[in-house]
Amino acid sequence: MNYGRELLKGNTDSLLLCLISRQPTYGYQIVKELQKRSNGYFQFKEGTLYPALHRLERDNLITGKWQILPNGQQRRYYYITENGQQVLAKKLATWQDFSTAVKAVIQAETT
Amino acid sequence: MSGISHYLNRFKASLQIDHTIRDGVAQELCTHLEDKTQELEEKGLSREEASKIAIQSLGSPELIAEQIYETHAQGSWKEALLSASPHLLVALLFTSYYWQNIVYPSIILALTVGIAVYGWHRGKPIWLFPWLGYYLLPVVVSGILLLSLPEGWGWVAALIYIPAALFVFVHIVRQTARRDWLYASLMLAPMLVTFTWFSSLGRGNELLTSDWAARLQTNALWIVVSFVALAAATIAFIRLKQRRHKIISLLIPPLVVLFAVVTASGGNICSWSWLLLLFSLSAFAIPLWMQARAYQ
Repeated sequence: MNYGRELLKGNTDSLLLCLISRQPTYGYQIVKELQKRSNGYFQFKEGTLYPALHRLERDNLITGKWQILPNGQQRRYYYITENGQQVLAKKLATWQDFSTAVKAVIQAETT
Repeated sequence: MSGISHYLNRFKASLQIDHTIRDGVAQELCTHLEDKTQELEEKGLSREEASKIAIQSLGSPELIAEQIYETHAQGSWKEALLSASPHLLVALLFTSYYWQNIVYPSIILALTVGIAVYGWHRGKPIWLFPWLGYYLLPVVVSGILLLSLPEGWGWVAALIYIPAALFVFVHIVRQTARRDWLYASLMLAPMLVTFTWFSSLGRGNELLTSDWAARLQTNALWIVVSFVALAAATIAFIRLKQRRHKIISLLIPPLVVLFAVVTASGGNICSWSWLLLLFSLSAFAIPLWMQARAYQ
């Protein structure tokens, strides 16, 4: 299987929590933000986002609320919970440590 | 029908969960598709081309439905144990002579009715369905027992009672199957086990032989095994995520029970009992069969 896809799969929760922690957001906006911030690096079937959001909501890391827009359209905005913020902080710290360690090993190999 | 409507219908047809959750996710997908279609239209694409690309970007509706199902279908350990409790309580009745003392079955019956009514009016949580199965059991058994009243009276009582009982039974099964076919089988499983054992008590043309109580006590160990197997399958059903695994878990109790009954009775079952056995097996298997058809 594609290594990049596996990495994305393993870090989906962190990426989603990170985006939602910045501002309450909805599904399509999350897809666009992910593509914009990663310069198009993250390519995935957009529908797979919704099971991930519902899983995070089930685990009480985010919460979804319906909002009615002026044009009558309904959108479900996701908000990070206190529990979600704590989990995100731990995940980011682990990722930083991991990333530093990987870099150190790779740089030592290439120099 | 537009491409988006067709896509959403495929999604809804593939997702057998609480309709409020299903409709909510469908609404989210609809908004997503409309947003993307509108954005692509602003870039100069036709409505048809834009919605086609939007649908392709979202991916298979069946796959999304499967993943959403896995997220919502797995119950907690607490729910699993609560679901298995009625089976374990009945198993407990047969670990000794408790079932012959009217007090213990009455306590369990009252508890079952109370919990079933509570759960039914509290949004039908996943743990409700096994309790509901035991709730329906006396409704059906009473109808069968009415037939053994003195000649003439039995049929009069049955003519009044059976339509009313059937109405309640069909209404509850329909409501449950509307939520999920598999929940209907989960609900009917206690009926299957009970009737299968009941069917082993007849001989020749008699539905119940005079020594039925003694025969039931002789088979007590196998009865306990049957209800414990049902409890284990129920826990597995609640805890498993994938739908096909849930179906497999539901197939285990009938196999265990049929084996236990045939072993205990030596295959000596009366014709009435075969009919009863066939009825309970059909009631249990039809929802599973409907699910298999839905897959095709």
